[in-house]
Amino acid sequence: MDILPQLIANSLIAGSIYAMVALGFNLIFSTAKFFDIGYGALAAVGAYTVFYLAKVHNFPTLVGVIAGVVVAGILGFVIEKFVYKKLRGRKASNTVMLIASLGVFTALQAVIAIFFTSQFQTLPSDLFGRGVFHIGGGVVTSVQIAIFVLALIIMSVLAWFLYKTMFGKAIRAISDDEEVARIVGIDTEKVIGRVFFIGSAIAGLAGILVGFDTGITPTMGFSLLLKGVIAAIVGGVGNVFGGVMGALLLGTVENFGIWYISGEWKDAIAFTLLIIFLIFRPQGIFNRK
Amino acid sequence: MVSVSILQTQKLHKHFNGVNAVDHLSLRIEKGKVTGIVGPNGSGKTTLVNLLTGMVPSDSGAVLVSEMKLSRIRPYDVRTYGMTRTFQQVRLFQQMSVLDNVLVVLTERGVFLSLFEYHTNFHLRQAKVVLEQVGLWDKRNENAENLSYGQRKLLEIARALAMGSDTMLLDEPFAGLFPSMKKTVAGIVQKLRSEGKTVVLIEHDMEIIKHLSDHLIVLDAGKLLAEGKSHEVLSRKEVIEAYLGE
Repeated sequence: MDILPQLIANSLIAGSIYAMVALGFNLIFSTAKFFDIGYGALAAVGAYTVFYLAKVHNFPTLVGVIAGVVVAGILGFVIEKFVYKKLRGRKASNTVMLIASLGVFTALQAVIAIFFTSQFQTLPSDLFGRGVFHIGGGVVTSVQIAIFVLALIIMSVLAWFLYKTMFGKAIRAISDDEEVARIVGIDTEKVIGRVFFIGSAIAGLAGILVGFDTGITPTMGFSLLLKGVIAAIVGGVGNVFGGVMGALLLGTVENFGIWYISGEWKDAIAFTLLIIFLIFRPQGIFNRK
Repeated sequence: MVSVSILQTQKLHKHFNGVNAVDHLSLRIEKGKVTGIVGPNGSGKTTLVNLLTGMVPSDSGAVLVSEMKLSRIRPYDVRTYGMTRTFQQVRLFQQMSVLDNVLVVLTERGVFLSLFEYHTNFHLRQAKVVLEQVGLWDKRNENAENLSYGQRKLLEIARALAMGSDTMLLDEPFAGLFPSMKKTVAGIVQKLRSEGKTVVLIEHDMEIIKHLSDHLIVLDAGKLLAEGKSHEVLSRKEVIEAYLGE
């Protein structure tokens, strides 16, 4: 099967993007314990920051990328502080949190569309170049290699961070039992705020990388969020590394599926996988219950 | 000698669904002593500990920590007040290793740089001391959820010890333990007393209570039924009646 190396390459690249989105999403879910839909819009915020700085104002693209990641992180932190934290303080239910985050998502998307229109835009290509490589029989672009490498770096750094640093241990403690974490002196609100910064920055980076690969629109965060959430559910919601495995599985099933069926069925395949998991293993691959 | 109270409640009240779990309770916990709290099931012992540690808000009344009146206790402030607790139903960080369960309480996280804070040999040594005290150092790399019930109870006590708090509220720390484990926990309580720490011990085992407590408080239906020296209190008629339902 000559197409096999290409399918594997495509699966890994798609899986890498989904993994990044799922990592940040799961990190936030595991501490704040609600489905943060607003998270999706931060991917677009990151991408449009690069567009604004590098394309509109001709700053170096790398400056735009760094700014995009930081802006997404800070915006995520601010939204947590002024919206979600206030709601938690009022003992808001998960449904209320979900609706609030939907509001955040819609508002951010609308603001981006007002300033930049809803038209498709591209990001400068100077940072990763337009190189095309033949690896093991498959063809990949330099941007796609960057996506794969950066996803690997983020996973490794996050693994080190969660398992080796004191702050990472605090995150895991909150994820396990927030009430006890408070009793043993962990300032859970502060930790959750920082988790929003980190998770949102990852979303921003994912949006930027997708922007380099396929271009940007204000609504780009929605499909990314959906795929990230499917990956998170397949791997196990709140299980940070389960999400990575879910993402790789999703990328593989999608890419092999569209080869056998047709490209238009890509989303249908993803949702079929989601439905199968929701029916037969709602806790995902890596969660026990 | 005038006794100093480290914890005090003033007409503390909490009701659940019309039942008074803690009923306008006023009591004093003296500094540097082991205070036993006993009472029949549903007498309000655990609710009292939950109120003292801010895990449930009170309906009325006040808690005084070192003579300071607190209108509201937040759980994450409990450590600041020099207190820590264990739970009747063990609550650990299940997905974390035995060592990480202890390490996670060993550092302050006040500044942004703590994002990259690493545990040092100093923290490891501290963790080793408390884990050796409860005999779990050899299990340090096991996930907490894989420990036996007794070991999990001991780990919870080790985590509380690692916090180095002046006041420890232990909710049934002996329940479900093997005799050798009970001996370990009794030794820890005695050591804490010898170090001048305050221990509040909720327990059903009267022999242990008699053996360890300096002062005994008996609750019944959320009210103070009796208090004093354990031998004397346990022989009182009203206490025996409350226990035996006579």
